Amino acid sequence: MQPRLATTPVPRSFGPVNWRGVYALYKRETVRFYRYAAETLAGPAISALMFLAVFHLALGGEEARPGISLSAFIGPGIVMFMMAHGAFEGGSIPILFHKMEGMITDVISAPLTPLEMLAGYVLPATTSAMTVGAVVLALVAVFVDLPLHSVTAIVGFAFAASLLMALLGLVVGIWAERWDGYSAVETFLVAPLGFLSGAFFPVDNLPETVRWIFHVNPVFQAVEGFRYGFIGQAQTSLVLAASVLAGMSLVLGLIAWRMLAVGYRIKP
Amino acid sequence: MGAVNWRGLWTLYLKEVRRFLNVFTQTLMAPVITTLLFLAIFALALGGAGRQVAGVPYIEFLAPGLIMMTMMQNSFANTSSSILIAKVQGNIVDVLMPPLSAGELTLGIAAGGVTRGLMVGVAAGLAMWIFVPLRLHDPAVLLFHAVNASLMLSLLGMIGGIWSEKFDHIAAVTNFVITPFSFLSGTFYSIQRLPETWQIVAHFNPFFYLIDGIRYGFIGRADGAIALGLVVVPAVNAFLWLVAHRMFATGYRLKP
Repeated sequence: MQPRLATTPVPRSFGPVNWRGVYALYKRETVRFYRYAAETLAGPAISALMFLAVFHLALGGEEARPGISLSAFIGPGIVMFMMAHGAFEGGSIPILFHKMEGMITDVISAPLTPLEMLAGYVLPATTSAMTVGAVVLALVAVFVDLPLHSVTAIVGFAFAASLLMALLGLVVGIWAERWDGYSAVETFLVAPLGFLSGAFFPVDNLPETVRWIFHVNPVFQAVEGFRYGFIGQAQTSLVLAASVLAGMSLVLGLIAWRMLAVGYRIKP
Repeated sequence: MGAVNWRGLWTLYLKEVRRFLNVFTQTLMAPVITTLLFLAIFALALGGAGRQVAGVPYIEFLAPGLIMMTMMQNSFANTSSSILIAKVQGNIVDVLMPPLSAGELTLGIAAGGVTRGLMVGVAAGLAMWIFVPLRLHDPAVLLFHAVNASLMLSLLGMIGGIWSEKFDHIAAVTNFVITPFSFLSGTFYSIQRLPETWQIVAHFNPFFYLIDGIRYGFIGRADGAIALGLVVVPAVNAFLWLVAHRMFATGYRLKP
């Protein structure tokens, strides 16, 4: 047996969970997020202000519901809209990019269990999306007189919705083989989920026949729960909203975990 | 090869067109869906109770502006991404090396962007026509503004793409220039709703004339003076063309 040189790398030992590995992945994606802040942070912030401005200019002074100004109603909706979209992009783009550029091997060959890989991709997307939400919210609050009802609901639904959309993004990112497939999902599923979520208008004015489309949309549940944290009223029961978000996160999490475990479209 | 390299120009144009047709889900279908979603949310939020803007049902007021906005965004995206990706990946030499003059380069790339803008506009218009009764009040004015809007944004995209060195830069141009100017162009509201001073400010936004002009082409109603738009828009385009031409001629941020 050869003597171990001082420079020979020693295998690092870790406990049942490779925290260091998860943290390394987490940090990598978070750094990427901040590095492209012009796209990932400034983009949603400007778009949010533009949405707010055009709704205000087109409708200024009207009330969404008795006692609640249109801006106070739309403001939280826009924040959730931007958060949900940011979480989906943050969950899907990195893994698709890593697959297409071949860098995914760095993650596969690292001593990480499928669950740790899942955490390493989903958690940074979740926290980045919540950062987007915080920035957009701060900007919206400059222009809109937002009431505050329940901080728990605000933070809870922001986290639940970001996690769900990040998991959806991860599943789509693993499934997609080219930008085309990803873009098709974004156009035909994610954009309608976001726009038709009641973020921009009260759905209680809609006819009964159309309203169910909104109620089965998890982003609608997220928007209503998040908005409840500000205005103190929701078109859905909060327990239902939280259950829908948690249940769908669990299902998508299981799917993503299985995909990573069997190496679906990741390993050759 | 005569005074103009027609063959080279045509090849460059075909390359630009095939580039976006190859990924038509992203370049043609996505904008149409997004436009329909915009129509849906604004119609649901604002269209109820027979709301009218300047004597026109709100949805008929909105539709022409949305068609124009998506044409503008896509023309800009086409030329800016074409040039920037080529620069970042290094295959811009394939465009700069052939015997193409600065004028031919400007024309070929701009024509590609205009083609995408018009194709997206027609597709979005047809898709909207299912939901909104679109009229054609003045097809000549409509076509004039459709072509000029696509050209203006193609040229802006070209200038932005040449100026940018990283995707961050073009994202900043999109976020801080193109998005605000197009959202605040009077697509979603009549500028007559604005306070006096902001109405004057709105007239300094060239996109305002494009939106207003195409709306006149569809429904025969305008916020500003149509004649003024017919002068301002070509003037802006001529200026942008000169800038883009100079950039290609001097090789600004294109040649080492």
